[in-house]
Amino acid sequence: MSDPVLTEEPLQFGDGGRLFGILTLPSMSHRKAPGLPVFVFLNAGLLHRVGPRRLYVHLARDLSRMGFSSLRVDLAGIGDSPPRPGLTNQQSVAADYDEILRVLESRLARVPLILAGLCSGADNAIRLAPKDSRVVGLVLLDPVCSPDDGFSARAFVSKYTNTARYVAWLKRRFEAPTTQPRGSQEQIDPLTLRDAPTLEQLRDAPLEQLRSAFESIRERDGRVLSVFTQYALQYYNQAGQLARVLGVAGYQQFCTELFWPQAEHTYTLELHRRRLIDAIKTWAGGFIRSRIDVTRNIGTD
Amino acid sequence: MDSAENLIAELERLGITVWAEADRLRYKAPQGSLTPELKQRLTDNKDRLLTLLSGHLVHEAFFFGPRNQRIFANYHPAAGGGGAVLTVICPPLFSDYMRTHLALRELAMALADRGQHVLRLDYRGTGDSFGDLSEVAISDWVEDITLAVREGREISGSRVVRLLGVRAGALLACKSVGASSDVQRLVLWDPVPDGASYLQVLRGIQVALCERNLYLSRAERSDAMHEYAGYTLSERMVEEFRLLDGSAYSSVPKNTLHVVSTSSKTGFPVPGVPQDVAPFRCDWDTAADELIVPGPVLERLIACLTRS
Repeated sequence: MSDPVLTEEPLQFGDGGRLFGILTLPSMSHRKAPGLPVFVFLNAGLLHRVGPRRLYVHLARDLSRMGFSSLRVDLAGIGDSPPRPGLTNQQSVAADYDEILRVLESRLARVPLILAGLCSGADNAIRLAPKDSRVVGLVLLDPVCSPDDGFSARAFVSKYTNTARYVAWLKRRFEAPTTQPRGSQEQIDPLTLRDAPTLEQLRDAPLEQLRSAFESIRERDGRVLSVFTQYALQYYNQAGQLARVLGVAGYQQFCTELFWPQAEHTYTLELHRRRLIDAIKTWAGGFIRSRIDVTRNIGTD
Repeated sequence: MDSAENLIAELERLGITVWAEADRLRYKAPQGSLTPELKQRLTDNKDRLLTLLSGHLVHEAFFFGPRNQRIFANYHPAAGGGGAVLTVICPPLFSDYMRTHLALRELAMALADRGQHVLRLDYRGTGDSFGDLSEVAISDWVEDITLAVREGREISGSRVVRLLGVRAGALLACKSVGASSDVQRLVLWDPVPDGASYLQVLRGIQVALCERNLYLSRAERSDAMHEYAGYTLSERMVEEFRLLDGSAYSSVPKNTLHVVSTSSKTGFPVPGVPQDVAPFRCDWDTAADELIVPGPVLERLIACLTRS
């Protein structure tokens, strides 16, 4: 259950203990600033609470060493939480979120929250944030975004100037195919929960939900971290594109937007996972600094 | 740790009745029977007891093992109480672990429905267990299986133990059991032949991952080539993998082994071991990351693990 600086507790909670999650708490000596928000890690597609290649476990423990508590949870129908029959995915997530709030409140009192998720986890975070005033931070890994005016031109240039693409094409041309196409009915894309939008849908997509999520965080003096990988190249191909399409006032003051086309969607390579964890830790450090400032100000008032 | 089931049984022996009432734990106890120590254990296990008493328990999760590197496990109690057999599921490693998590959970529930106790574990440095891959080695994983068997016996009260080893988990399970007579049966799903060839498969996957990524810089490509299928392994672990040869299988009494393969091409290194083929394309040797729920394979595994 513990290492010297943190403890972890498996929780079965909600109606009849149907939901499962693991609560990570820093030890007393690592609780550096009072009132720090608690991270809630939302499933990436159908992958269970450990996240792609254990990303959420590493994040939970590293953040704990900085003083943050977290809950990595299996939403209903994923990992070790059974599904909620008769509900749509969105209704089920909303019901799960109520249970998450209840268990966190019972364990940690009413605390500010940071919702973090990859792919459908980001989608869920965006949907939940505007409705809950407790949410003061978002970590969005490959969230949706609309293409902007320069998107197609940039995509064209990037496609035809990438030498690795030509090398790969030549290799394919001269190598006999060795693998058969996939498509077994019993192999499930772990990220199927996202309603993958087409480029046309993204162009016309109402950005209201996304904008509303960002604005709600700004109103709460919170912060947002968005990271885009090569998965997003179908709709996003330049750092700053999200800022342009959202047009949210004060974006630069509370948002960090990173574009890492080298990384795959699920951070397959360890070097990319490490880089992501470092980026999230650096971003999270801002909450510690602001809490310490608040505490100092209260002390001097 | 206390198992909620064991605690209830102990309380019953003392004439103490516990029940759940609107999310609260209630009890009726003869005077003087509820000691402060028992009260504390009730408090410590309140959540699990409530879940069990509400009739919703399909699994119980907990940490056990070495104090500084706790092992995470899920225990699925036998449906209907009782249950003389405990099956410990030794999962595969790395991306195979992610790909089979759903299938192995389904399998555990199916076995529990058929009256077996089941324990699923995450080796140290994997899943929800403590530790990093850089800190653990094969010998730790072999020890984890031994500890899991002991823990599972204690929780379930079962005397008969069966192991399911999946891919590299098969090699670890056999290494853990060796010539011991503690385990009645070992069922191996697509066992890897030995550690060295498994490392080669992981290297091949790494090459494929780097080749398919058209956006890696030269420096990143060079760094990434030190990884194995997207994971950095310590030199100690690589060395221990290399030393894990087919003797891990041959040291186990042959009459306790049963292999379930998804391909007829699998070359299990020990001749004369019963082998079932349940054809299914798992793509173990590729960079595939799809979750697999292979119905025919699970049926074969259930049949092998439940026959008396």
